[in-house]
Amino acid sequence: MEFGFSAAEQAFAEEVRAFLREHPLEQFPLDGMDAGYGSGAHSRAFMRALGERGWISMCWPEAFGGHARPMFFKLVLFEELALAGAPFGPLAGSWQTADAIIEYGSERLRRDVLPAVARGEATFWQGYSEPDAGSDLLALKTEARRDGDHYVIRGHKIWSSHAGIATHGLVFTRTSREARRSRGFSMFVVPNGTPGMDIRPIRSLTGGVYHYEVFLDDVRVPAALRLGAEGEGFQALLNGLDSDRFWGRFYKAPALERVLRRLIDHANATGAAKDAGLRRRLAAMAAELAALRLLFYRAACLLRDGAPITYETAVAKVYADESGQKLARLGMDLLGPWAPLRPGSHEAQLDGDISHAYLTSLGHTIAGGTAEILRTTVAVRGLGLPAEPRKA
Amino acid sequence: MDFRPSSAQHLLVSTAREVLRKECPPERAQQIALDPRGFDASLWRRMAELGWQGLLIPGDLGGSDGSLLDVILLVEEMGRAGAPGPFVPSAVVATSLLLGAGSADQKKRLLPALAAGERVVAVALGDTGNSLELDARGRLNGRALFVEAAHIADSLIVAARAGSERQLFLLPVDRRGITRAPLESIGPEKAFAVTCDAVVVGAEDRLDSAMTWREALKAGALARTAEMVGAAQRILELTVEHAKTRVQGGRPIGGHQAIQHACADLVRDVDTSRGLLYTAAWKASEGLGAAADIPMAKAYASEACLTVARRGHQIFGAIGYCEEHPLHLLHKRILAASLDCGDVAAHLEDVAHAIGLRA
Repeated sequence: MEFGFSAAEQAFAEEVRAFLREHPLEQFPLDGMDAGYGSGAHSRAFMRALGERGWISMCWPEAFGGHARPMFFKLVLFEELALAGAPFGPLAGSWQTADAIIEYGSERLRRDVLPAVARGEATFWQGYSEPDAGSDLLALKTEARRDGDHYVIRGHKIWSSHAGIATHGLVFTRTSREARRSRGFSMFVVPNGTPGMDIRPIRSLTGGVYHYEVFLDDVRVPAALRLGAEGEGFQALLNGLDSDRFWGRFYKAPALERVLRRLIDHANATGAAKDAGLRRRLAAMAAELAALRLLFYRAACLLRDGAPITYETAVAKVYADESGQKLARLGMDLLGPWAPLRPGSHEAQLDGDISHAYLTSLGHTIAGGTAEILRTTVAVRGLGLPAEPRKA
Repeated sequence: MDFRPSSAQHLLVSTAREVLRKECPPERAQQIALDPRGFDASLWRRMAELGWQGLLIPGDLGGSDGSLLDVILLVEEMGRAGAPGPFVPSAVVATSLLLGAGSADQKKRLLPALAAGERVVAVALGDTGNSLELDARGRLNGRALFVEAAHIADSLIVAARAGSERQLFLLPVDRRGITRAPLESIGPEKAFAVTCDAVVVGAEDRLDSAMTWREALKAGALARTAEMVGAAQRILELTVEHAKTRVQGGRPIGGHQAIQHACADLVRDVDTSRGLLYTAAWKASEGLGAAADIPMAKAYASEACLTVARRGHQIFGAIGYCEEHPLHLLHKRILAASLDCGDVAAHLEDVAHAIGLRA
């Protein structure tokens, strides 16, 4: 057992901190809203800066322009960026997509897309959910019909984060009607702006735009933009969702620690910290966030060692999201009548960030697998409890 | 970073599990637990043969040269098996105190005998319920409550007020003026009230160093956390097994989402508690600062493991309400462990201090 970071990992953390000291966050314009997951807002400029440092591609094999650094360097980067509150919104998606392209992408995807990912220029939205396919994703209706060297995609995607400001969509489609339930699906990497694609913003309860819906009206894409073999898209998607739970939430614990730190400073400054009840709630929250971070470290070790994952990322994802909701609630209590003041408001405390976190956290136990779906995953895959009978 | 136990740690754990399975089956643990003065002397000797009581003691004093992390892994298995005996007060807290604060003579006299399982030392360190005071003539008066295993102890380490400070004394239980009265708890712990009536103490009875006292309590807090995690792990295993095999309405109850989701939360509570426990134990063993880690682990695991126990009762239904069922004793053991060596409120206050909250 050993719970510390190695000397090389610590040196890299210092390198990231030095970068953040030299590049104040104010100098990076923001393009898309911070949805509270811990990766901050969407900033093209910040992604390009990460690309310039070589950090987006640092763990890729050398043949793909990377430096084959160990996976834990990505964790270190995430942690340092999240602790600083940096706007690295699209980074997890870039890493996941790049890994899939490296593993089973076509030559064309490797040639055209990977270098742009490495530079921080290509970012991705997920075209998975549909109006009638949420938790039951396989009920999706979007179809990709083969037409010579091309596919023609027709359908309607929704809840796609940052679709309007990213460069490519990962569009999950049905390519065969005959196949049994989990076969016959294929994934495509579709550049934004392809004729027939109509991306419309959905204003959220925060007042800002994070999600989009995407109408695909006979969108013609070359077959080389298919990610993986035809009909094998579902397995690829499942792998993606497993790692999405991990990579799309790993930075949440350090980001929540940053929020907690701000609440502690506020409680000290206002004298609220003198109240024993509040002190205990904040202390219990600190313990919870430490426990949360360890769930992710353990899952990280399993991923690194290639050990089987049955429930570990699902448990961690649910805990991250529920802890985040709890922390936001605690923050609202601490701020009292100031709590609902939004960012930018006169007299807002803590920049109005807590009210924003309170609202965005409501979506976290829904996005990327609801807490209910994931608890079932833990019970069935992790504990071996019998699955509920599924209707055909 | 590596969550896997070393091969030596793995061997310790698998040996402990096997020994406890054979020599402390649930019926035996139950019998000892329900007897208000229960103590399994043969199990205690067997543990000593395996070097367990001597894990924290150096080889030249008859110990087995282990680390605090080894102790934690071992106590987790004891918690899992519901193993009886005063391991935490005697082999962890008292032993740590003697190692850190004992005179050469006290160490030589007691530590080899503790490692050999020939002696038991009970401790009365908490502030709560402790009115012991050294009077001007150098005699101890007052009482200490919640002293575990005082009935089988050969010696006691007690904290007493002496003027404005607190001092520790190591006393034989048969010192004139000391009496022990059992407290009747709902749990398996054997708690006593120790009363001192004009007990004469000398310089040779004194243990030094207030710092060591806090360190020993921290080791005890970690061990109690390990006990809770082990017991909660056992509840998780029993409960999931029950959910798979208990059939109602033609299906195992674990096929229903209401039960599945409750079981998913059991795993989360046990895994998170264990993560904090191991990290704190590792840091303490490596001599890294664990000022916030130990109280975080104890406070967190107390709430989480009690939640596991209570949820376990709900999933088990009526059968878990019976005395012969193992669930209630695991639950009561968690309850007792959560209160010993600092309760939730005390540890949260330590955490609050460590994270910079100004009272």
